Amino acid sequence: MFIDALKTIWAESGFAAITWQQLVMIAIACVLIYLAIVKKFEPLLLLTIAFGVLLANLPLAGLMKEEIGSEQGGLLHYLYLGVKKGIYPSLIFLGIGAMTDFGPLIARPSSLFLGAAAQFGIFIAFTIANLIGFTPQEAASIGIIGGADGPTAIFTTTRLAPDLLPAIAIAAYSYMALIPMIQPPLMRLLTTKKEREVKMEQLREVSKLEKICFPIVVTIFCVLLLPSVAPLIGMLMLGNLFRESGVVERLSDTAQNALINIVTIFLGVTVGATANAERFLRPETLAIIGLGLVAFMFSTIGGLLLGKLMYKLSGGKINPLIGSAGVSAVPMAARVSQIEGQKANPGNFLLMHAMGPNVAGVIGSAVAAGILMALFG
Amino acid sequence: MSFFDSILVSIFSMALVFLVLASLYALIQIFAKLVGIFKHEAALPVNVPAEQAEVLDEGAKGPEVSAGELRLKGVDEKTAAMIMAIISHESGIPLSELQFKSIKAIEQS
Repeated sequence: MFIDALKTIWAESGFAAITWQQLVMIAIACVLIYLAIVKKFEPLLLLTIAFGVLLANLPLAGLMKEEIGSEQGGLLHYLYLGVKKGIYPSLIFLGIGAMTDFGPLIARPSSLFLGAAAQFGIFIAFTIANLIGFTPQEAASIGIIGGADGPTAIFTTTRLAPDLLPAIAIAAYSYMALIPMIQPPLMRLLTTKKEREVKMEQLREVSKLEKICFPIVVTIFCVLLLPSVAPLIGMLMLGNLFRESGVVERLSDTAQNALINIVTIFLGVTVGATANAERFLRPETLAIIGLGLVAFMFSTIGGLLLGKLMYKLSGGKINPLIGSAGVSAVPMAARVSQIEGQKANPGNFLLMHAMGPNVAGVIGSAVAAGILMALFG
Repeated sequence: MSFFDSILVSIFSMALVFLVLASLYALIQIFAKLVGIFKHEAALPVNVPAEQAEVLDEGAKGPEVSAGELRLKGVDEKTAAMIMAIISHESGIPLSELQFKSIKAIEQS
């Protein structure tokens, strides 16, 4: 009888039900957890995504089970509604807006062109993805990885190609974490030592009035032009207005700390939980990861090439290294520009100059996403 | 979608991204000019970030310069960069998470 009971427990346990594909996914989850904890690759999101992958691939747990009739769905199924409805990416943008100082961009608005050029990879990846057989919606979602903006990639994918969400989210955040490895070789390849040594002039001081008006003007202009991007740009600029207005410090503090942290947990774990073995272990995943890298590299190249052009046009006053910061991974891309600039000239201090293209990239990738959603949504 | 179509879509979309951001560029420039014209005293007190540091250092007073939100008084850019790096290192807080309001040199009384 005791043996029978043990057999029953075993037969009903997840151990008996687990498949080799789920074991592979659990191994992938463990690798991602390792990368997040030990290598510190975007740990805030990678750790939660990885744990979501782990939870989703434990058989019989049913955390992502849909609600059927009176039968309750799984916990993560309900939390996932925030991703499905585009709520979490927009709330993350609210927090990013509250954390972002657009001062360097307002002080040197030509940074916007670098933010635009660094969206180049999106369209290169889009074209290649189309060529190898992805639908235009899928190709657009894959291409947006090149914007180096996790929330934008998730937002676009949930609207255009929800089936690809786990692969795209994991690729986007992994490459963002790998920026210090992906960008420097391209930066050194495409710029001369003389260009990298350029010390840039001090930025002008930006008045409080300009900083307050900026989010209002950008919201009105962008949302009127691209209504599909209203949730992202609207929340980004609302968060920034909280910060710059100076009259709602509690809201600003909540948006840039508690709220963004809570939403990051929900977003990460539920996006990870969509990566079940059936959806993830497909040849398309490898293609997406490869195309994501292509997108990132070409976005960096686009920013650098325009940076070089601006170097020439400005008579050598603009260091082209700030161009690579046009990909919107804030502030990591700007930090990479700073590090490379200092390697070429120890007296170089590019961080503040690179923040302009960096935050312009956030707007640029949201605009690119809005265009793609308008075309294929 | 054919390869040719996807190329066309890419060129059109990229051009549109540039157009939108170029329009923002123009708006910012126009606004900066207007602010310059109507508010000579435009430099209102900036919003003080949550985490800030004001570093005092002895030395000669010099001309005041500005780098975005950071005001440098009597300190050159190189020295300011070193001070910020030292504070980041000593406090263990990444430079990206620190926001400096001003760095000024003062005379010791």
